[in-house]
Amino acid sequence: MALIAVPMYTALMHNRARYQNVWLLLASYVFYGYADWRTLPLLAVTTVVYYALGIGIDRANKAGAARRASWLTAAGVVLGVGVLFYFKYLGFCVRQFAELFSQFGLDTSGATFAIVVPVGISFFTFKLISYVIEVNRETLAATRRLDEFALYVAFFPTIMSGPIDRPGQFLPQLKQPRRADATAIADGAKRVLWGWFAKVCIADRLMPYTDAVINNPEHHNGASITLAAVLYLIQMYADFAGYSDMAIGTAQMLGLRVAENFKRPFFARNIAEYWQRWHITLTTWLTDYVFMPLNIKFRSLGMTGLYLATMINLLLIGMWHGPNWTYALFGIYHGVLLCVTTALDRPRKKWEKRHGLRQAQWYAWLRRLLTFVLCCWGALLFRSNSIGDFALMTGKMISEWGPLYTQGTTPIFSLGLLSILILAGKEYNDEMNKGVHLLHNRSRVIRLTTVTLLVAFIVFTGVLEGATFIYFQF
Amino acid sequence: MERSAIFEKLNDIFCDVLDLDEVTLDEATSADDIDEWDSLSHIQLIVAIEKGFGIKFSSKEIITWKNVGQMVDSIAAKL
Repeated sequence: MALIAVPMYTALMHNRARYQNVWLLLASYVFYGYADWRTLPLLAVTTVVYYALGIGIDRANKAGAARRASWLTAAGVVLGVGVLFYFKYLGFCVRQFAELFSQFGLDTSGATFAIVVPVGISFFTFKLISYVIEVNRETLAATRRLDEFALYVAFFPTIMSGPIDRPGQFLPQLKQPRRADATAIADGAKRVLWGWFAKVCIADRLMPYTDAVINNPEHHNGASITLAAVLYLIQMYADFAGYSDMAIGTAQMLGLRVAENFKRPFFARNIAEYWQRWHITLTTWLTDYVFMPLNIKFRSLGMTGLYLATMINLLLIGMWHGPNWTYALFGIYHGVLLCVTTALDRPRKKWEKRHGLRQAQWYAWLRRLLTFVLCCWGALLFRSNSIGDFALMTGKMISEWGPLYTQGTTPIFSLGLLSILILAGKEYNDEMNKGVHLLHNRSRVIRLTTVTLLVAFIVFTGVLEGATFIYFQF
Repeated sequence: MERSAIFEKLNDIFCDVLDLDEVTLDEATSADDIDEWDSLSHIQLIVAIEKGFGIKFSSKEIITWKNVGQMVDSIAAKL
């Protein structure tokens, strides 16, 4: 898709912004329709409805009719959540009720429910909801340009899997024509290349192992399960951050800035910091529109209010991934970890000051390791096929150790681990500002050599048999 | 209440809640300028300000503040 859209778009550069926007919009709709044409009307209709709602809210605010503006905003939020609920969660609820009733002997065989889940629905409904909230808060003027608004919603690099852009950051960029800029195009292409490396050399390489172990927990011991949990967290990161890099890089080539989604999460020293670095556009979305409003509402309750808002927020993060009890429990797990982190925050800081640990490197690494371990266990829960499987695996991790499962895993433990080391080296360099820049080196020779080696590494060692991205299912 | 008097009272409240020895707030001060002013202490500040001035803010007001100046606008409008 990018291969067709980018050159055409570049040809339109130096022209009016409108031509570029319409071209990108067409490309985005073709892209979306190609993924699943049946749900294209839903995307188009909701876009028009929210466009009209935005103008309605803006007019109500300007006329001093705050109540009408609030009602229209509430309608927008309810509609967005309703659409999401209908397509993503209703079938699950019907099945759960059917199961419950069948336990009482009622015939529920007719209660099967098949709904096509539109691609990217969790991403574009969040974009639509944030738009009406921002217009109501008067932090953004409603756009009068339907083509610009529709492009914000459907922008092809991000519609499938994010990052979830905010209207205030994205829409103003569409006002100016984007000019062909060799540096931006080269930088964007390198970002895409890096994302591709993470996807095919790490995520897809590790997948056979994590699938084999986590899908068949009864056949594996605690050692293999522990390794699978660690590898799955890395796999998920490489998959999703890799996709995000590709989306951001593609947008960059088109002259558009898209929000960052990851900031080296495995360097986080506690769970709160981890969530500031992992799937940033989802967590900041929920912080701004759910956590802070709830926190403000519950402020008279003191710390209890804060814990309540935290738990609701994290439960929503878990459930956002889909209708599955493992996701709900994942949210609760991280919610509890966050509450504990918050409760211990001040005593911890005092303790660290007293023992002179603030600057101690070993202590920082110990905290990073603890955070990573907690997140691995969370990732295992996230990936488990059922809560029963997760309980079984956790039990085995405690009591049933033995030799590692290694059948047919040579490429995983050689090429996979080598790729992980390359990724870790880059992240360490970026996090600690070590100043080694290979892809962006001043010397053209080093830049070209790095790109060539990276392409060769991907071609010769990557898993190139088109696996899909984990986050497409959400 | 004079705007300067509101600022003085706010200085005291900020010192108290954020455990600071001294602070001088001005119109443009924001959470970026004070390390101790994070999302956790933000809520505690709001509760202390409401109590100190005997007022109640709406959620929309709180969410849209960008700096102390806007916070003072909201306080002044309620006194």
